Amino acid sequence: MTVTDPATADAPGTGDARRAGVARPSPPRRRRGATAGGAAVWLLAPGGLLTLTVIVVPFVVALVMSLLDLDQYTFRQWLSAPFVGVDNYVEAVGRTSLPHAIWVSGSAAVIATLLALPLGVAAALTTHLPFRGRSLIRSLYLIPYVLPAFVVGTIWRIILQPDGVANQGLATVGITGGLWLNGPKSYLALIVVQAWSGWPLVYLLALAGLQGIDDSLHEAAALDGAQWRAKLRHLILPLLRPPVALAAIISLLHMVNSFTLPFVLFGVPSPHDVEVLPVLTYVESFQNLRFGLSAAMAVISLVLILVPLLVYLRTVRLDEPEAAA
Amino acid sequence: MNATRALLAAALAVTVAIPVTACGSGSSAEDGRTLNVLIGANSIYPTEQKQWFADVSAKFQQQAGAKVTFETFASPTDELTKIQTSMLSGQGPDIYALGTTFTPTAYSTGAFVDLTADQWTKIGGRDRFLPATLGISGPDATHEVGIPFTSRPFVMAYNKELLAAAGIDKPASTWDGLRQQARQLTGAGRYGLAVAYGDGFDPWKFIWAMSIQAGNPLVSDGKARLTDPVTVRAYQTYLGWLATDKVVDPAATGWKNAQAIAAFGAGKAAFLPMVSATSKVTLDKSAVAGKYGYAVMPTVPPGATTLPPGGVGATSILSGDNLVIAKYSKNQDLALRLVNMLTTAESQEAYYRTFGELPTNAELANRLVADPALAAIVDSASKSHGTPFHGGWSKAQLALVNVVVQSVPKLAAGKVDDASLNALLTQAQSEVQAALDKAK
Repeated sequence: MTVTDPATADAPGTGDARRAGVARPSPPRRRRGATAGGAAVWLLAPGGLLTLTVIVVPFVVALVMSLLDLDQYTFRQWLSAPFVGVDNYVEAVGRTSLPHAIWVSGSAAVIATLLALPLGVAAALTTHLPFRGRSLIRSLYLIPYVLPAFVVGTIWRIILQPDGVANQGLATVGITGGLWLNGPKSYLALIVVQAWSGWPLVYLLALAGLQGIDDSLHEAAALDGAQWRAKLRHLILPLLRPPVALAAIISLLHMVNSFTLPFVLFGVPSPHDVEVLPVLTYVESFQNLRFGLSAAMAVISLVLILVPLLVYLRTVRLDEPEAAA
Repeated sequence: MNATRALLAAALAVTVAIPVTACGSGSSAEDGRTLNVLIGANSIYPTEQKQWFADVSAKFQQQAGAKVTFETFASPTDELTKIQTSMLSGQGPDIYALGTTFTPTAYSTGAFVDLTADQWTKIGGRDRFLPATLGISGPDATHEVGIPFTSRPFVMAYNKELLAAAGIDKPASTWDGLRQQARQLTGAGRYGLAVAYGDGFDPWKFIWAMSIQAGNPLVSDGKARLTDPVTVRAYQTYLGWLATDKVVDPAATGWKNAQAIAAFGAGKAAFLPMVSATSKVTLDKSAVAGKYGYAVMPTVPPGATTLPPGGVGATSILSGDNLVIAKYSKNQDLALRLVNMLTTAESQEAYYRTFGELPTNAELANRLVADPALAAIVDSASKSHGTPFHGGWSKAQLALVNVVVQSVPKLAAGKVDDASLNALLTQAQSEVQAALDKAK
């Protein structure tokens, strides 16, 4: 945020955005400098107003809603809906399948991310060095990423249905596929499809990381007589860690929050094994019309999302000095 | 506290004002001479629907000097979002076309005009409509919000060739008889029934039909009756078609309604129960074009040979669309004039000719009975019954479908597990009861 403040642009050490973190030792002085300009603070007003409208207001509304017994009977005069305190939270945790949904969403996201990581890194390694047709391969790799979740869900639903391509393929090697979109194996299907649509993000960030590695390091390693295996282990992978860690967190957040993919893939009511958090929240709001209860669920999921989000924000901040060092 | 409320109201106004102004379809308050109507997008006849919008608008301009603008929604979620935004902001469409089974939930919000005797007169009186279609307009005849607009009664398609080859002269009128015929017709890569077990909307309709025929309306006097033995039996019958009777393609565990219609259209199934007449468009372009007919679905519950005492011989849910007028509308009289225009025999006939949906206008419906191609459908319309009129009904529907969804893994393994079925029904019962208890 500090780099957007033009008042600090001429302050020593802040001209270079990449070094923003370096200038941290003297924040109070910079703050005074910013307000001294007077008008400069007002330049932030549009951004502040936008943040207020887009983030703060809906969040406050959701928070208030979660404390009310808001349903189809009270929705029209929602401010006079009975105030029920934390009842919605108690109900969400104790009498709905929220804990189960949190477990499904969280665990599937972690496993899918872990699957996507090696895939993405391997894909990045294969397209790092120039070869004929590299740009074509790079474009192909991005297909799962550019497809809308709705399309991904529809395609996979067709592939995975009982008489679909997946089961026909398995049958040729003597395996009975069975049900993929309901029952225990649907959890596996969720993970596979999420990993499939998620690995290109890892690939993109890993590729960017690879391209950022200074050629001189490769040359130095070559001079030291390192073979590709040693180079990979001691040079490339350690340097790839920050971008890949970032990719892991973003993809984790994305998968935990994913609504469209499970919604299209499994439909509602969801099979028990793949009843994910966003779909459960949707059903409470738009099918059962329990807006208060659903808002409580949304607030709970927000708190849960905050954990990896904070890690993410920390990673972003810590990365830069590390990378610069 | 008042200051906080005012602040919150302002905050909410900001959030809802954005989508509302974004709609930009010309607010009804703008000039007082524009009516906004929200209606479901017709995915089968999109061009015809656009033309119909233009025709209605032109005709109304002539009759009442006011313009009509139509907005469409593509899904129930779209519809609900629009209703919610409009209810909160107090502006939006003047008239909504709502699905009949959603009418009880819409009624419970108190956001729609409860028609007075005088208002009924303005739309041609209650007598204008087929009596059955008024069955889901309100909790009783003096509290009605829904004006019947279209009727989509359920029927059952059957493959005439397959039945004739098996020596069956007509579809059975009992569920047990239908199962027997389905068994006879299963074999050589064909199945007796095409049923979409994986559909998110349809499965509850079978359970409802079999239950009400056996005397259990599922919800009565604010009490849920989902664990009633006749309802358990309904589930056992419905799931048993695939699991134990083997008269349904095993792949049907993943089928949506469209796939069941496709299977029947490809000649791979003899019966296609619980579809509306709108399947006609698809079937007439399929391999069974000219070889199929429609019949009413069985009205005698599983395990019986005649309708038991207390049983209702329902062939269909009162299915179709109701028009409701928003309380916030500043053009309620104008809205009534438009509804009056849309429900005349003449308008309804044009609508029927264009979209194939049956009229709710009694005069026209009585004329259509004479058409042999429509006999089964019109017959079903007259034997339709409404779902329980309760604000919590939408929860009941969802819970009933959920039992099927969670039973599918067992179904695929070829069994109806009574223990897990009972557990699922017990859970559904308590969820639905909780929703009924919340009614205000």
